[in-house]
Formats: sequence, C-alpha cells, structure tokens
Amino acid sequence: MPRIAIDPITRIEGHLRIEVQVDEGRVSEAWNSSTSFRGIELILQGRDPRDAWVFTQRICGV
Amino acid sequence: MDYHETLMAPAGRQAEKSLHDAIAANRGKYLAVVEGSIPTKDNGIYCTVGGRTALEIAREVCGQALATIAVGTCAAFGGLPAARPNPTGAVGVLEAVPGITLINLPGCPMNGVNLAAVVVHFLTFGALPVIDQFHRPLFVHGDRIHEKCERRSHFEAQEFVMQWGDEGHWRGWCLYLMGCKGSETWMNCPTVRWNDGTNWPVRAGHGCLGCAQPHFWDRMTPFYTKLGRLKRTGDILPEEFPRRPQ
Repeated sequence: MPRIAIDPITRIEGHLRIEVQVDEGRVSEAWNSSTSFRGIELILQGRDPRDAWVFTQRICGV
Repeated sequence: MDYHETLMAPAGRQAEKSLHDAIAANRGKYLAVVEGSIPTKDNGIYCTVGGRTALEIAREVCGQALATIAVGTCAAFGGLPAARPNPTGAVGVLEAVPGITLINLPGCPMNGVNLAAVVVHFLTFGALPVIDQFHRPLFVHGDRIHEKCERRSHFEAQEFVMQWGDEGHWRGWCLYLMGCKGSETWMNCPTVRWNDGTNWPVRAGHGCLGCAQPHFWDRMTPFYTKLGRLKRTGDILPEEFPRRPQ
C-alpha cells in the first residue's frame, strides 16, 4: 500500500514534512518531521537571563 | 512571485515543481529572496525542504538568479541560529553561496518597507541600490539609529532614563544607559518606523537591540547593559549624570 510523503507542507511558517501510510483507502500510520533544527536551547545557555525573551521570541517570529 | 512556502497553494511535489518551473522559465533573470540562515554543519542536515538541504537549494536557486536579496539578519549574517555556540554551523547567504550578486536587508525582523523599496528601485532603474561593506543598501542603512532618533535631544542634554519606569522614562528621555544600541546600529527605523509608520522600539520606550548589525546576538548582548565601546570616546556613567530634579 502506498506511503505518501508531503514535503514541504506549505502555508505554514517553518518547515514540516508529513508521511502517511495508506491501507485500503485509510491512513493507518502517520509521521511528521520538523525538518529544521536551530538549537536555541543550546544558544541560550550561559547568557544574561534578561535577554532570554528576545531569543525565545524568535522561535517563531510570525 | 512563483514560489513562497508560506503563501503558495501547492504543497509537496507540486510546490517543488513550481520552484523548478520558475527557475527553468526565468534562469538568470529572477530575483531570489531568501529568508533564514543556512546550516552548514554535518552537510547541512539541520534544514531540509523536500528532502534536500537548504544549502543545496540556496546554491541552485541563488546561483541562477539575477540577484539575491537576503531578508532578515539570519539570511544576511546567520542571525540567531549562528549565535554562540552556533550549534548547526549556520551562515548567511553570501557565505553559503559565495560570489553571487547580493543585497542584504538585515533586521530582526526586516522591515517590509525596505524590501519593497529595493524591488521598486530595481524595477525603476534596472539596477540594484548602492550598498555598504555589509551589502546593505545605503538608503536603508546609511545612518545610525542615534542620528535620527527622536530622543537624541535628550542625549545631548544628558537626560537619561536611569531605571525602567522612572520619571525620565515617562518623559521619553534617552535610553542609552539602559542598554540602547542605537548609537552603533545603522538602520532607518526612526524615519520609516514599523506597521505603516505607527511606531518603532525606541519611541515605544525600549532600547534598540542593534538587530541590523552582523552577529548582534553576540556583539550587542547583554541587551540591557550599556554599550562599553564608547568608553574610548568619553564614557557617560550614570553617577556623572544623576537624574535631574523635575
């Protein structure tokens, strides 16, 4: 049975991939991947805590 | 505009087809607008679209464009992902694809007014605007924030905010001692402002973060600490300028 990948998912901000397994016309399994990693948690370590909001706000700048 | 993941109707393979068709039909004649930094560590696996890395896509798309416009500090200089310790080896477009014709429009966020102006400049004159050493258009980044700041007269009068919410803050005094980076940042925020000219950070009461400067996440932080560099040219210390009687 077909396994379908949709990448990129559009009309969202960011990067997303969806894969679905279709069995007899129904989705039997589904996987999603966020296909970007920036490591903001690592970047925040050791910084002035007053600056944290400026960094974390950029996780999604929409 | 033929391809933009956030706005376009197609998804998946159809979206990729739109990209490839747009390149094939306009090779060497299109403007590529790039948003976001490009991870290079571990062969660029930290950002993929349609199974290809951002690095591969940037090389293909920017390499065949007439010119590339890198919008936002991430695309221009690596931005937030490139802040220490830069876990993904993120770089700006020019470092990822050297040798291309590039306009950088940094800012976090970039101001859409300036992007529109670059495109209109190109359409009107058939040429890209004059740029500075960081590939930034001079008409956007030719002046320091400090030069056209509406709080500048308070700087000259040595009227400084000393504490958030103090009387100087209510009165709109200079935010330099609170960590404003406007004296080291080249951008047109005070004149074009944001949201159709509604306001901009310093006018709203917060210091400039210096977001149009390369590597501001490391070079302009801590954000609430006064710039140290001016010490060389006559530093201004809070104790030298105590709050004036109201």
